[in-house]
Amino acid sequence: MSEEMPRLARFERRDVDVLLTYDTDAEFTITYDDLRHACPCAKCSPLRNEDESSKTLRRQVESFPKEKPQVRTVGNYALGFEWTTGCSSGIYRFERIWDIANRRDPDNGKPYVHGAW
Amino acid sequence: MSDSPVTKHGANSGEAPAEASPQEQKQMEQAYAQMKRKMSMAEIGKKIKHKVMVLSGKGGVGKSTVSTGLALALAQQGLKVGILDIDITGPNVPKMMGLDGRRLHVESGRIHPAQGHLGVKVISMAFLLDNEDTPVVWRGPIKLGAIQQFIGDVEWGTLDYLIIDFPPGTSDEPLTVAQSLPDIDGMVIVTTPQDVALLDSRKSITFSESLKVPVLGVVENMSGYTINGKAAPNSEVQIAGPAGKTLKATTNNDGEFAITIDIFKEGGGKATADEFGVPFLGALPFDPGFVRGGDDGVHRIVSEPEGPSAIAFAGVVKALQDQIVDGDQPGLEII
Repeated sequence: MSEEMPRLARFERRDVDVLLTYDTDAEFTITYDDLRHACPCAKCSPLRNEDESSKTLRRQVESFPKEKPQVRTVGNYALGFEWTTGCSSGIYRFERIWDIANRRDPDNGKPYVHGAW
Repeated sequence: MSDSPVTKHGANSGEAPAEASPQEQKQMEQAYAQMKRKMSMAEIGKKIKHKVMVLSGKGGVGKSTVSTGLALALAQQGLKVGILDIDITGPNVPKMMGLDGRRLHVESGRIHPAQGHLGVKVISMAFLLDNEDTPVVWRGPIKLGAIQQFIGDVEWGTLDYLIIDFPPGTSDEPLTVAQSLPDIDGMVIVTTPQDVALLDSRKSITFSESLKVPVLGVVENMSGYTINGKAAPNSEVQIAGPAGKTLKATTNNDGEFAITIDIFKEGGGKATADEFGVPFLGALPFDPGFVRGGDDGVHRIVSEPEGPSAIAFAGVVKALQDQIVDGDQPGLEII
């Protein structure tokens, strides 16, 4: 990733999605389903390796009630989300959120094998 | 060393440059390598977002278990993590990470770490020993050089966290690391609940002040051993605990019960943290699975990712992350 990533300035939780505003005034939306499907934890990540298990994960994520998560900053590099259902383990680095916002594969097309991409 | 500036120039102008003696040449090469290493250490400091030192005043409290557990719990969150095993004379992180007998890969003068469970990168003295029974008998300055090499000559790449595992006590190693590696976030003090360990932990906390490295918190290891069993439903079960104490539990409708025995007392870690006004990150249960896992090279967190120990580690990691303050992302408005 050679492009310069702008700084995330505002994270607005809405009913079914989040509105992100960067310091360049660029705005993006990410649905909660997309956010949860891209969870980087060691349990969810391997499920995205195969189409079938990825679809199963997607269906599972979509079956959860639409809710606003609790959001916390993690150090100076990431956000963590607490949901009342499903997985809350993943720590989303700002680079990952930027990729999801730009509709890019946050795993960079790499399979998750033995705990690493 | 083809790129080192190892010609000696005469002091008087007009005089032809004199060749350096072999000894001078060696000294200059060493000085040049040292300078390059220092520059490299500064660069590495920028590529690694967070550096956490793991120390204890006393040996045998499970420092390496906690270091590897922290690293794996962070990696489980999808973060890029490395462990630097600074215990030169008793390195055992590789064994715990399933990397026993592995050799390090060196390319263009840079050491590439081995990768263990969950992609965690590991550097340890153990990788350099021909035989694991060989003792490392090094005096201070040699140890210091090795540590600086482990920091400056290793190709870590970009990492979210570097966990640095130290030998017990308050000696050369943490001092060298604190002086060599820039922007250390802080140290985690590992203790067990008994008085001797707590006394030494207090020394570690005081030591942090002289190093000017903040204490991120205290972790109490081997905090309690939980026995699970079955008896008649809704009945009372009694167990003879330490110090002649009788421990009681009532079984549930299925006849299951659980009793926690505080083998090394309880609550000492929190009391020490409170006494010194530093955060208490949590207590980790006494889990014989760590011993088996350590010997087999399959860490408890890997073999039982949703077990009580993994859950306890996740709690400690969350508390640790809460202590690591925001820096580059100020003013993020969350609505």
